Amino acid sequence: MARVVLENVVKTYGSVRAVNDVSFTVEDGEFVALVGPSGCGKTTTLNLIAGLIPISGGDIHIGDRLVNDLDPKDRDIAMVFQNYALYPNKTVFKNLAFPLQMRKMPKAEIAAKVNEAARVLDIERLLQRKPRELSGGQQQRVALGRALVRDPRAFLMDEPLSNLDAKLRVQMRTELKRFHQELGATVIYVTHDQLEAVTMADKMAVMSGGNLQQYDSPKRVFDHPVNMFVAGFVGSPAMSLIPLQLDNVAGTLSLKSEAGWSLPLSEANAAKARNTSSRNVVLGARHSTVRLHTQAQAGAIPGVTYTVEPTGDVTFVQIDLGGAIVIVSLDPNIEIRADQPVWLEFDQERIHLFDGETERALRAS
Amino acid sequence: MASAYSGRFNPWPATVFVILAVLAVLFLLPTAGVLLSSIKTTRDIALGDLWSIPPSLHLGNFTEVLGNPAVHGYFLNTILVTLPATAGSIALGSLAGYVFAKMPFRGSNLLFLIVVAGMFFPPQVILVPLFRLFNTLGLIDTLYPVIIVHMALGIPICTLLMRNFFATVPTALRETAIMEGANEWQILTKIILPLSLPALAVLAVLQFTWIWNDFLWPLIFTQSDNKRTIMIGIVNLKGQYSVAWGVQGALSLVASLPTLFVFLFFQRYFIKGMTMGAVKG
Repeated sequence: MARVVLENVVKTYGSVRAVNDVSFTVEDGEFVALVGPSGCGKTTTLNLIAGLIPISGGDIHIGDRLVNDLDPKDRDIAMVFQNYALYPNKTVFKNLAFPLQMRKMPKAEIAAKVNEAARVLDIERLLQRKPRELSGGQQQRVALGRALVRDPRAFLMDEPLSNLDAKLRVQMRTELKRFHQELGATVIYVTHDQLEAVTMADKMAVMSGGNLQQYDSPKRVFDHPVNMFVAGFVGSPAMSLIPLQLDNVAGTLSLKSEAGWSLPLSEANAAKARNTSSRNVVLGARHSTVRLHTQAQAGAIPGVTYTVEPTGDVTFVQIDLGGAIVIVSLDPNIEIRADQPVWLEFDQERIHLFDGETERALRAS
Repeated sequence: MASAYSGRFNPWPATVFVILAVLAVLFLLPTAGVLLSSIKTTRDIALGDLWSIPPSLHLGNFTEVLGNPAVHGYFLNTILVTLPATAGSIALGSLAGYVFAKMPFRGSNLLFLIVVAGMFFPPQVILVPLFRLFNTLGLIDTLYPVIIVHMALGIPICTLLMRNFFATVPTALRETAIMEGANEWQILTKIILPLSLPALAVLAVLQFTWIWNDFLWPLIFTQSDNKRTIMIGIVNLKGQYSVAWGVQGALSLVASLPTLFVFLFFQRYFIKGMTMGAVKG
């Protein structure tokens, strides 16, 4: 296995920059998720690493080699595609053997390698079957096996779970994670599902509009999103973002809403707010950090419940704070209905503040 | 029990059935006529009409045809033309179709249209220039121009069909194979073509039938009797002073057997190919 380094990687199609100046380092043995909405450039980035499309600018290193001009087959990486791309006319054995045959490996060695990979992935009894006779999960294992037999320096995976039904997806997620842990493989994994990224990856690269927004551990991305896009994309339900005005009354900073309520900022948050020249500040709060009261409380902000969504474990309530919607999670045993007056209390330690113009997170300098 | 039969009589299936039956009879009648002629003596043919049932089964026409060395030559020539021209046009169509489907380049769509437009040239338009060309090359009265022209005329339909079939093969298969170290030739021959048997079977049947049954090009490009193909052979058998209907009928039947065998052999794939893309997966 090897580390993969991207330095200022650019891919242009005509005047469109599909991948814009992306840099990150995947350490040896790390599981990195490239995540973002459709068209954000994550699959293009993966194809650039694979060498399936030529790079327009920047450098890609795999191990200690610069691979910009290397053919895909010489990059020594394996790719697992969304639909697995198993050869339908070949048996599982021949699917696994194909990459080795292409390297002109002796037959006995091929058989040994294929059997070893089949043993690791527990697909030995499937070797003589055709792909169409396999379940989705078995097909995924064969696709992994085909990648594994080559002893690649890194695995690239392009949404390998998105074709599976919900239950199997969770199961295969666990298997992929085990696969990574047992092999210590370097994995770069593309997904549009932020939950997959958060649950499986050591680090996640959040992309949008061809730009890398944030590259960090899932926990850091979750707790310290660098901008409003990342804040809204990671986490489910999404972080509530409330546009407010910064108000300075005799040195005390508070956030004022157009609906009339205001939220005095704690000292730490006030320090962050002083770092912006903009008067527009966006308050971000995750559903679990907002407390809901059914009775009026001093300092709590009044609102009206909008919808109530019980999910079993937890009930999500959307609350209208005079134009802005805030999502709060509640214990399912709490009785609540739509159009009920409620009062919200924000945890000052855990709220996020964003510059309303640049959309960047405000930090205490 | 008529009252228990609640459904009203629907005339459409019956109408369609009748129309199809009439059409089938119309199409089969000539074949039946030829079959009847082939088992009659010349005298029976001269006495009766085309549809009369012969008084006895006469197989002399078949023995005469099958024992005739000229007929052996016609068959051999037809095989020498049909097999390479069929294989060649399918091979070239597969190569072109693969490029058009999986490796598009600037202007490839226009070029594809131009190639396919080749189907719309009536043979009469290119007949004289081709004759003069092959005459200059000294190839008249050989089988080569027949092979070459059939191969070339087959490229548009073969390219069209193969491109459209290849387009349905997931691109990820090609990309996987590239990652695994296969070159384009290996991808085409080891991955894509084995998946394309239905399309190949359709083309094999179409091209084989078309080339085997062709009358025009061998008539133009060959002259000596020992270079003629089977369809011209049928005409040549008519004799100098009389028309040997029985013998011609026998040869017509024998000559149509190979196309029948080819169809039966590929039938399984052929039907799959005709319904290609009609159902998911």
